[in-house]
Amino acid sequence: MSEVTISRRSVLAGSALLLASTALPTIGWAQTPKKGGRLVVAADSEPRNLNPAIVASNGVFFISSKIVEPLAEASFDGKDGLDPRLATSWEGAADGLSVTFKLREGVKWHDGKPFTSADVAFSALQIWKPLQNLGRTVFKDLEAVDTPDELTAVFKFARPTPFQLIRNALPALTSVVPKHIYETGKIEENPANNAPIGTGPFKFAEHKSGEYYRLERNGDYWGQDQPYLDEIIYQVLPDRTSAASALEAEEIQLAAFSAVPLADLDRISKVPGLKVITKGYEALTYQLVVEINHRRKELADLKVRQAIAHAIDKDFVVKTVFLGYAATATGPVPKNDPQFYTADVPTYVFDVAKANALLDEAGYSKGDNGKRFSLKLLPAPYFNETKQFGDYLRQALAAIGIDAQLVNNDSAAHIKAVYTDHAFDLAVGPPVFRGDPAISTTILVQSGIPDGVPFSNQGGYKNDELDALIAKASETLDPAARTELYKEFQKKVAADLPLINVAEWSFISVVRDTVGNVANNPRWAVSNWADTYLES
Amino acid sequence: MSPLRRFLCTPEAIAGAIILAALFAMALTAPLFFPGDPQAIAGPALLPPFQDWSLPLGTDRLGRDVLAALLHGARTSLAVGLAAAAAALAVGAVVGTLAGFAGGLVDEVLMRITDAFQTVPSFLLALAFVSVVGPSLGVVVAAIALGAWTGPARVARAEVLSIRERDFVAGARVIGMHPLEIAFREVLPNALPPVLALSSVIVAAAILTEAALSFLGLGDPNRVTWGGMIAEGRAVLRTAPFLSIIPGVALVLTVLGIYLAGEGVVETAAVRRSLS
Repeated sequence: MSEVTISRRSVLAGSALLLASTALPTIGWAQTPKKGGRLVVAADSEPRNLNPAIVASNGVFFISSKIVEPLAEASFDGKDGLDPRLATSWEGAADGLSVTFKLREGVKWHDGKPFTSADVAFSALQIWKPLQNLGRTVFKDLEAVDTPDELTAVFKFARPTPFQLIRNALPALTSVVPKHIYETGKIEENPANNAPIGTGPFKFAEHKSGEYYRLERNGDYWGQDQPYLDEIIYQVLPDRTSAASALEAEEIQLAAFSAVPLADLDRISKVPGLKVITKGYEALTYQLVVEINHRRKELADLKVRQAIAHAIDKDFVVKTVFLGYAATATGPVPKNDPQFYTADVPTYVFDVAKANALLDEAGYSKGDNGKRFSLKLLPAPYFNETKQFGDYLRQALAAIGIDAQLVNNDSAAHIKAVYTDHAFDLAVGPPVFRGDPAISTTILVQSGIPDGVPFSNQGGYKNDELDALIAKASETLDPAARTELYKEFQKKVAADLPLINVAEWSFISVVRDTVGNVANNPRWAVSNWADTYLES
Repeated sequence: MSPLRRFLCTPEAIAGAIILAALFAMALTAPLFFPGDPQAIAGPALLPPFQDWSLPLGTDRLGRDVLAALLHGARTSLAVGLAAAAAALAVGAVVGTLAGFAGGLVDEVLMRITDAFQTVPSFLLALAFVSVVGPSLGVVVAAIALGAWTGPARVARAEVLSIRERDFVAGARVIGMHPLEIAFREVLPNALPPVLALSSVIVAAAILTEAALSFLGLGDPNRVTWGGMIAEGRAVLRTAPFLSIIPGVALVLTVLGIYLAGEGVVETAAVRRSLS
């Protein structure tokens, strides 16, 4: 063995190499994911049920989408905007009565049992169709799931069901859970609802109530070399202001779903090491909507609804309430939807004089105190923005002589007041557009929905023409014809105003710049994060 | 020395009186200076204070005038504070007098009820009451009074217990006055001074409780309140701290002013008593 000698030259060479090695990752190797590490993420709520097959909501997906996977995930550049997950291909029959899924080979559940078509059949028939909040509508005609072999599942529908709808529903509605865990006992009470078992890149490790959720790496994951992270910790930080300071203190590396208040983004984007990212939520568009109780005789009058629409300054709402992180809405389909959106609908410019004239025409003239009539206004408490818009709407209505009395409730009381008791005149709601109007949008307008179904038409609105249009679209198989029908639907809704669409917004992530592969699909925050990595 | 002169000799009493006077002036002049709706949108959002002299204290997240909100908020705070204290004192004095004067079973029952109310933290009681009944100004006043009447009740009872043994009470009995008449016309007025001494503490606590309820979103949403202003400012605490600081300082000064003035009154009364 030769003795190591330290010369000036070797030190220089060595330090040059060191310099180069620190500079290189940011230039050439930035795309090569690094293995290992623990990602700490802010979580603002602790869902009681973590089973995404039963509760298809973003709060649940945020955690459980890493554990339980759907048949396909949304994608920026994949065919039909989809990327295969548990299914590798999907094909709809021409008559709309069946859809055939080819499933991925060699996939294992976290407990080691193999994943087969029986699991898909069980999830579809026993959970998505009867129990899931969204699946109840989309899979209502699903009759049977044939499993000719272990890797093929054929969905059979009793009535023609548009393949376009099924395809659009794949990312959010088709989380597959293991049959062998759920087949005994009541599905709603299964312990796996709180400690999910799936096929995803991360396994559920533990949940300390009020503190954190911990997910650990699934070594048997089907994705090659994936996942890159060893662990994901969801740090429970219910207070919104604390997420920003936790990021600055490097206690957490990621705050998704606008956990950092919009007003803080400008400041935090200047903090070195932190990035503000607006991408990665394209398929999760929230809509700011004024829900209307048509049982009130004043509001049953179209002229009054038009007056309210004219009284709302949508640009002001986008600029002030959302600080520019939103877009004004024209109708029930958001502008950023690539398939269905049409701008060719009746619009309502901000015009207080016109609104006042419409109300006079409708026969509601101003009384001695300058007021026409009084309304109860219930802003949904889920977001700061919905509450602030409530404050704004009260002022906008005051300008046209409508006296709106705000009623504040907590989440549970709000849902009961609006969707069960109908104890409201106007409500501010944030429904979600999920890539297809038939999933969660037409339900906001359709009549005949039983009391108590949240985020549905509980305003007593009934329009036979619109109901017929919705029914027709739900059976139209040709995607082009179906899209046309939904364009017609948007026009009719904008004309008759069963509700008033004000703005559309998505979320913002704030992330440390050491986190790689962020926001690389339109549902990133609620996708599986198998390719997410940490640079150091 | 007249009581007023004595009152004005204590510096803290003067400070308290000045703050209180300013507060009442604010509350009374609010509709003069800002006749419209204080929640109307008046300018660009998040305007910092002292930038635009038509909006001297700046604007909040929606562009509402902070000064207008502050002045109208003073009305709400004072109204709730005074109404809640009046209700608590009235209920407390009546319960205390009845218990003390009647004695026996009535005393036992009323005092055990008082005990029960005293064991529940008054803020929790208010919180539960408002979230069940629903927030509005009247409900908030009732909720605060619900937790505050026990103190006056105990003090009133103690006073009544000593007063009812005095000769004039026996005299009233002899001339055949109805016991209730004796209790409320002869005994209660004499028992009142120490009970009223509690009022400053109760008003101050009521204003704080109202602010805390509003901060938690349980105030009347159709009125401006300082607690509600602080809660709204909290979301932008790092970017626009003045939105929380301004109503916060107003709240501190108000409570301090009431407390100091109350102390001054008690002090004056004590001196007078020891002089007599």
